[in-house]
Amino acid sequence: MRIILLTVKRDLLLYFRKPGDIFNPLAFSLLVISLFPLGVGPSADILGEISAGIIWVAALLTTLFSIDLMFKEDYEDGTLEQMILGREPLLLVVYGKIIAQWLVGGLVITLLSPLLGMMFYVNTDGILATVLALMLATPTMTLIGSIGAALTLGLNKGGVLIAILILPLYLPVLILGVAMIDTATAGDNYAGHVLWLAAILAISIGFAPLATEQGIRISLSE
Amino acid sequence: MKPHRRRKLYFLLFLLLSSGGAIALTLMALTENINLFYSPAEIVSGVAPVNKRIRAGGMVLEDSIFRSESDLEVRFIVTDLQGSEFTIFYTGILPDLFREGQGVVARGALNEDGDFLAEEVLAKHDENYMPPEVMDVIDQAHGDLQK
Amino acid sequence: MKRMVNRKQKTEPGGCALKMGNFFHRLGSPRPFYELSGVVLPVAGVLTLISLVVGSIWALGFAPPDYQQGESVRIMYIHVPSAIVAQSSYMMMGIAGVIFLIWRIKIADIALQCAAPIGASLTFLALVTGAIWGKPTWGAWWVWDARLTSTLVLFFLFIGVIVLRSAKDGSEAVGRATAMLAVVGLVNLPIIKFSVDWWFTLHQPSSFSLTESPSMPAEMWLPLLVMVIGFYLFFFFTWMYRVRTEILKREHRSQWVRSIDDV
Repeated sequence: MRIILLTVKRDLLLYFRKPGDIFNPLAFSLLVISLFPLGVGPSADILGEISAGIIWVAALLTTLFSIDLMFKEDYEDGTLEQMILGREPLLLVVYGKIIAQWLVGGLVITLLSPLLGMMFYVNTDGILATVLALMLATPTMTLIGSIGAALTLGLNKGGVLIAILILPLYLPVLILGVAMIDTATAGDNYAGHVLWLAAILAISIGFAPLATEQGIRISLSE
Repeated sequence: MKPHRRRKLYFLLFLLLSSGGAIALTLMALTENINLFYSPAEIVSGVAPVNKRIRAGGMVLEDSIFRSESDLEVRFIVTDLQGSEFTIFYTGILPDLFREGQGVVARGALNEDGDFLAEEVLAKHDENYMPPEVMDVIDQAHGDLQK
Repeated sequence: MKRMVNRKQKTEPGGCALKMGNFFHRLGSPRPFYELSGVVLPVAGVLTLISLVVGSIWALGFAPPDYQQGESVRIMYIHVPSAIVAQSSYMMMGIAGVIFLIWRIKIADIALQCAAPIGASLTFLALVTGAIWGKPTWGAWWVWDARLTSTLVLFFLFIGVIVLRSAKDGSEAVGRATAMLAVVGLVNLPIIKFSVDWWFTLHQPSSFSLTESPSMPAEMWLPLLVMVIGFYLFFFFTWMYRVRTEILKREHRSQWVRSIDDV
């Protein structure tokens, strides 16, 4: 337990020392989605209809861009190797890194989402559902994304490769999340979507870090 | 117990907890309907929202299809075969599988009169395949039984 | 100990004193596999050709039309086999991935790598024929329901495996990373399989199961069966062809490859 906390603390410290790493993906995705009203026209009807999709695109972009950096620096300066060799189990370190990554990526976009919702004329029900959906889905996206980040360590193809590997795995979460926001906006009961998202999150918490840990070992075996 | 053994045990418990939680949540989720799909009974009883884009479906009632003579407008009644039925209005080309007694799904909105204005009509196909001659024989057999 | 035995066999020049026990062991190393597959390949090729030709003529020319769909039901004879074999090939990739991760048998890596492009093409074929079939029967080229979406995910998973594997040619670490991805992607297979039962969808449920008789007459499912067998053989044939090529590519420096005349 202690090692998880220590890793979270260390990673957060590193992120705050280099705020660009967290700020840039966020700024980029915010920019992208503010292009939508300019592109499709500022009509509240159209924007309201596509709002759920746009907010999800923002969340996906942020996760994708920041997940790339998750192990990169530790890999390049050899810290990751020391973590494998170290006395503490690598798996717990991986949990810590995932939590830290979520805190600066997924959580931030979740907290920003009500603002985005208002920009796109989502009603109160819809905004509540958006926050709830992102709260459940962004950890899943970080967990699954960490597998991709681990598998592509040391391959100089960077973000595009990760995107191709993990975006398909995001599809179920994306579909459920968008449907949940749409259902909520229409004023209907969305308990089913919440339960599905929670189920996917539960299984990812248990198993994704295992795959990530193995992935790191594989990528560093050469 | 040695520390690394204990750690392994904790981890196994954690995995069990995670899969158990996922299974429990899935089972709960399966009881909830997450499709915006309404049956004729729900439409007749007023559960389905008015003037919102929804999906509705059921069986096309026998002898209920009326086509406009001037354009592609068509109107037909959809039933759940248990007494609930409503009318669908649609303008456009219907799929091949659309016919009386066949399952359909329509996307569109209910108006205040309880009529469904469809933007799209899709036919749902079942897993049964048959040559036409066999179907004729079966139909005849049914007819004989009814006599 | 095991590894020692294995190495001893490798140096044995093509000896064929096969005990059943180490038959698979031998098949796991490139050279015996290459030699054995050289015998199997032409047979598989002929069988593929026969079953596909017979199946196509039977299905397109002689099988009866459907009472509701009419002639367009014939797309089934391409759509269903390609979808089945596409999923099976992912299954095979996943199993090969597990084998490679645990036992590090080289052939498993090659098998996985060679199955991916064929699987991707078959999935693509299933998606395209499905769209062509969907338009006249359902009234839509594509609907975003569980069956179609999960099959699309299957296609992307194949692409992911291809892209990751080609990130660094011949590197063992990338091979294992790819195996890992293939194994993780196995989650998708039960989703495809059960999507028609769990969620509302336009896609019809399966007409076949092991426990019940098929819900179509023999003059329809027999040609379908021939086509399915044909597609499996086609997969096997192209896959084995690719595996042989890949073996030659990887082992091109070794003595036994250099001594092959017809390369």
